[in-house]
Amino acid sequence: MNPEIAILLISCLTAVACAIPGVFLVLRKMALISDAISHSILPGIVVGFFITHDLASPWLILLAAISGIVTVWLVEAIQKTGLVKEDTAIGLVFPALFSIGVLLIAIYANDVHLDTDAVLVGKLEYAPFDNWIINSSSSQEGITNPEDFINMGPKSLWTTGSVLLVTLVLLGLFYKELKLSTFDIGLTSALGFSPVILHYGLMSVASVTTVVSFDAVGAILVVALIIAPAATAYLLTNDLKKMLLLSVVFGILAAFGGYYLSMWLDASISGSITTVLGLIFLLVYLFAPSRGLLAVLFRQRRQRTEVSLLTFLLHLNNHDSIEERSVTHLQEHINWGKVRAKKVLKLALENNMISKNGDVVTLSNKGKEFTEKALDYIITNKDEKIEDMKDDFFLFRG
Amino acid sequence: MADKIAVAVDDLTVAYNYKPVLWDIDLSIPEGVLMAIVGPNGAGKSTLIKSILGIIDPIAGSVQIYDKPYHKQRHLVAYVPQKGSVDWDFPTTALDVVMMGTYGALGWIKRPGNKQKKQSLEALEKVGMLPFKNRQINQLSGGQQQRVFLARALVQNASIYFMDEPFQGVDATTEIAIINILKELRKAGKTVIVVHHDLQTVPEYFDWVTFLNVKHIATGPVKDIFNDDNLTKTYGINYKVAVQQ
Repeated sequence: MNPEIAILLISCLTAVACAIPGVFLVLRKMALISDAISHSILPGIVVGFFITHDLASPWLILLAAISGIVTVWLVEAIQKTGLVKEDTAIGLVFPALFSIGVLLIAIYANDVHLDTDAVLVGKLEYAPFDNWIINSSSSQEGITNPEDFINMGPKSLWTTGSVLLVTLVLLGLFYKELKLSTFDIGLTSALGFSPVILHYGLMSVASVTTVVSFDAVGAILVVALIIAPAATAYLLTNDLKKMLLLSVVFGILAAFGGYYLSMWLDASISGSITTVLGLIFLLVYLFAPSRGLLAVLFRQRRQRTEVSLLTFLLHLNNHDSIEERSVTHLQEHINWGKVRAKKVLKLALENNMISKNGDVVTLSNKGKEFTEKALDYIITNKDEKIEDMKDDFFLFRG
Repeated sequence: MADKIAVAVDDLTVAYNYKPVLWDIDLSIPEGVLMAIVGPNGAGKSTLIKSILGIIDPIAGSVQIYDKPYHKQRHLVAYVPQKGSVDWDFPTTALDVVMMGTYGALGWIKRPGNKQKKQSLEALEKVGMLPFKNRQINQLSGGQQQRVFLARALVQNASIYFMDEPFQGVDATTEIAIINILKELRKAGKTVIVVHHDLQTVPEYFDWVTFLNVKHIATGPVKDIFNDDNLTKTYGINYKVAVQQ
């Protein structure tokens, strides 16, 4: 297989496999547990490597996944003592397990290709050359004929691909249960769906995904692949299905973008992928239509103007005399700067809420109605009545 | 009324980290009552409901729903948790939350379909939330969120309804709307059990009441037992409320 295609495929599959459990971890406010898992699977990987001498062996993946589950369980056990909070418990557990892994490597595996560098950032660059070879000549031992060996392509492709497949099947089967238990754990158990099974099921998927991705992107960068796509998608949608879909899209985008960035910079592929993920998040954080920074600033500005408008209209509503309603008096009286006063006046005129006769402004019928409705809303807070106003004015949106 | 026992709690003790929250509770709730559970903060009101529903494991005692353990009678029970117990920023709509009420009858793996959607829309209509069905749940007011939760319980079409402080943080209109629905449920022969905070409204809203403060103090018809004596026993101070009969 062409190494370029192999690397692209592996990184896409890894990104998608990480993004799916990532959505649920982020929504459960457990994003940090992925950090813990990704580090504490190291002892599992090392012990598995001693036994199998193969980083892509299913046994190694299983052992590592078990150390991931043990992490989750340990964190919960420490937390349950009530002596420390969850973040502290996470901080206690994973460095302990990770350091056991580091010691095991240093003592027993110094001469094998399981180095700390690969552990930290992965070795995506070499993945296409670690191929799965099947020996089809089963009968004659000792005779080696090159034609009997079938090259099945990179091992990582197979491990990541199968994990992704299992993840997708589980997601398809248990989407409803995962959604329910993520949103409302009390109802989940009242309805008879065991939250414990769902929780550990999700954690198992997250652990296995982390193990197979670990090989490609390493212990630290895998955290970005799990958290960043979900966090980005969360800013863009109010629908769980769309959030899953968007996370997958962002994962794939980052895989492609990262690959070509790394070619251009001649730098680490996994590092480039996570950089691209970070950039995507930054862009969405700034420009997301309703939750983005710019949208929020814009909305706050409009809200301020609308509050000013309402204050202005209220003043007109409360004072009938001509001198109270002259433009110059209003400027002094409400104590606004010229710019702001002008803006409010313009807004009121545009919306036909006042009429202006020379220097004197008068509340129109529409303006009167609006003011009364708004007052009524602010005092009674009866939501139903102002449904139609909500579309025109940000002011009335919670 | 009062011949069949809907919920029977027997010697129930619950503890968090060895500290008892509920101590040796015996309680029988007859079918068809609209009952308030009252007691001071930390009295274990929510814990009582949660342990009846199997959300919390008691360290001793048992619970029977119509003479059988809860896990065999799930389909008869609906539950409205405290509004604050869930994350309202969760990416989902009002209709979707109501649909969750149908998950119990569906069981594992099966997905909700058109029938469940129709039931959910009817439940939304009943609580006056149909116009908001596609609204993101964090765009709803506190009262509207509570109505969505009520609709989710209604869609379960249960015989017994447990509600944990349904009036907390809701506006007056919603409070009246909710209590009217609860009264309708009672008229239809359902049993409704509500953790309640506002003692003033007990005689007006409910026909039965349970006083609870770690221990069970009294259970019975409001007109018989909602008096200064029981209030004092429950709240520990010399309690005087004007109870209009």
